[in-house]
Amino acid sequence: MRHLLILLATLIPVSAQWIHYPTPGIPRTPDGNPDLSAPAPKTADGKPDISGIWVAVNAKYLNDLAADGINVPMLPWAQALYKQRKDNMGKGRPSERCLTRGVVDFDTIPMNIKFIQTPGTIAVLYEEYNHYRQIFMDGRPLPKPVQPAYMGYSIGRWEGDTLVVDTTGFNDIGWLDNNGYPQTESLHVTERFHRRDFGHMDLQITIDDSKAYTKPWTVTVAGFRYLPDTEIIENICENEKDFQHMVGK
Amino acid sequence: MKSLLLLAACLPVTAQWIHYPTPGIPRTPDSKPNLSAPAPKTADGKPDLSGLWTRTNNPNYFFDLTTKAEEAPMLPSAAALYKQRLAALQKGHPSERCVGHGPTDYATLGQPRRIIQTPQMIAILYESYNHFRQIFLDGRALPPVTQPAYMGYSVGHWDGDTLVVETSGLDERGWLDMNGHPQTETTKITERYLRRDFGHMDLQLIIEDPNAYSKPWGVNLALNLFADEDMIEMMCENEKDYRHMVGK
Repeated sequence: MRHLLILLATLIPVSAQWIHYPTPGIPRTPDGNPDLSAPAPKTADGKPDISGIWVAVNAKYLNDLAADGINVPMLPWAQALYKQRKDNMGKGRPSERCLTRGVVDFDTIPMNIKFIQTPGTIAVLYEEYNHYRQIFMDGRPLPKPVQPAYMGYSIGRWEGDTLVVDTTGFNDIGWLDNNGYPQTESLHVTERFHRRDFGHMDLQITIDDSKAYTKPWTVTVAGFRYLPDTEIIENICENEKDFQHMVGK
Repeated sequence: MKSLLLLAACLPVTAQWIHYPTPGIPRTPDSKPNLSAPAPKTADGKPDLSGLWTRTNNPNYFFDLTTKAEEAPMLPSAAALYKQRLAALQKGHPSERCVGHGPTDYATLGQPRRIIQTPQMIAILYESYNHFRQIFLDGRALPPVTQPAYMGYSVGHWDGDTLVVETSGLDERGWLDMNGHPQTETTKITERYLRRDFGHMDLQLIIEDPNAYSKPWGVNLALNLFADEDMIEMMCENEKDYRHMVGK
């Protein structure tokens, strides 16, 4: 935890404050407060609308994606690398060099994110690092990976009221969580987002990477809380400021 | 032009955009994108600026927003800082530390950017640095500046078919271009976006800042739709670029 706390402390300016602006058009109780247990909204074409600002409910799964004690079926090399990273207090994680996070650790970090849902594309804006991700909703297939990336390449579809997002094309540099579960270029992540009501969204993540794990494993992570009446603030990562604070071997 | 080193260091040698036919766009009989078709409208009748765009008319605007036809009307303090940055061959530009660009130099950069438009907001996703910017269309006013930012804070409204975007709250550490025309916390940027037809958009940039410039000044840019392609991920890694920088 020391590592994470130091990093977060250096990234967020002391004076940071989110700009308060009442979110237009959201359901409110008679006293004007956001009604977070109202039904989840729908788009014009009848799909659930997950647009809005959200934050992971806690940091439990950011620190350890397998925090619930599930057995993560690592291959021996992955086990050895994971142990080395964990013993080293997470030093070497790409985020310490401003190199962003990936799909999985952005899903579990308790910093504001914004979903913008349009018929062809869902854009996800991350407060951390001012980075974004695209999820294509136009029916295209996953392409043959040509250039491995931290965010990979994502396509989404609706299964009832659940948004199912498949992502491949990852690089092998990213880490799945702060402890350092490894990934390879054969990683396939499946996310299942379900907006239960106006204020709450559940998320289940399946990790399928036959070069690092003997079989796919699935985690129901903390999910997201809706954040009304706020915004994301700019958080640009500047290397030299953080790197010197990193501890570890 | 030394900053070419930086671009070269940031883009992987193997970079290639993923070709995928953009669904739902007008096409000519031979299936090419029909870039002179009318500009699309949203369900509520506003011009729809959505799509992947690149800057086209003059690559030099990225380096010098004035292109030297007429120098920006800098006050003496701004002129002195600009001269110093020019003499240092752009060393010290925030992008060399992966801090990225601001609205003006992202607008003049040649790399693609995607505009995502909803009735309430526009997000611009930049390939460069994997950074984004938001423009609020919900009628809110520009807030008092509490936390200056490289992207500032942007609100937009429609003036006929032109989207007018006003930005304030900029961080004085940002540079308006690679050569280093200064900005301060009182800089205001006005952008006017007009999608002339399906494939072409005019973008006028106006810079106002009583603490740096004696009068408003600006430039007219042209953006082209980048059909059937998509952005590639470009993350900036500091240590790799910094050692390539030259200058005083």
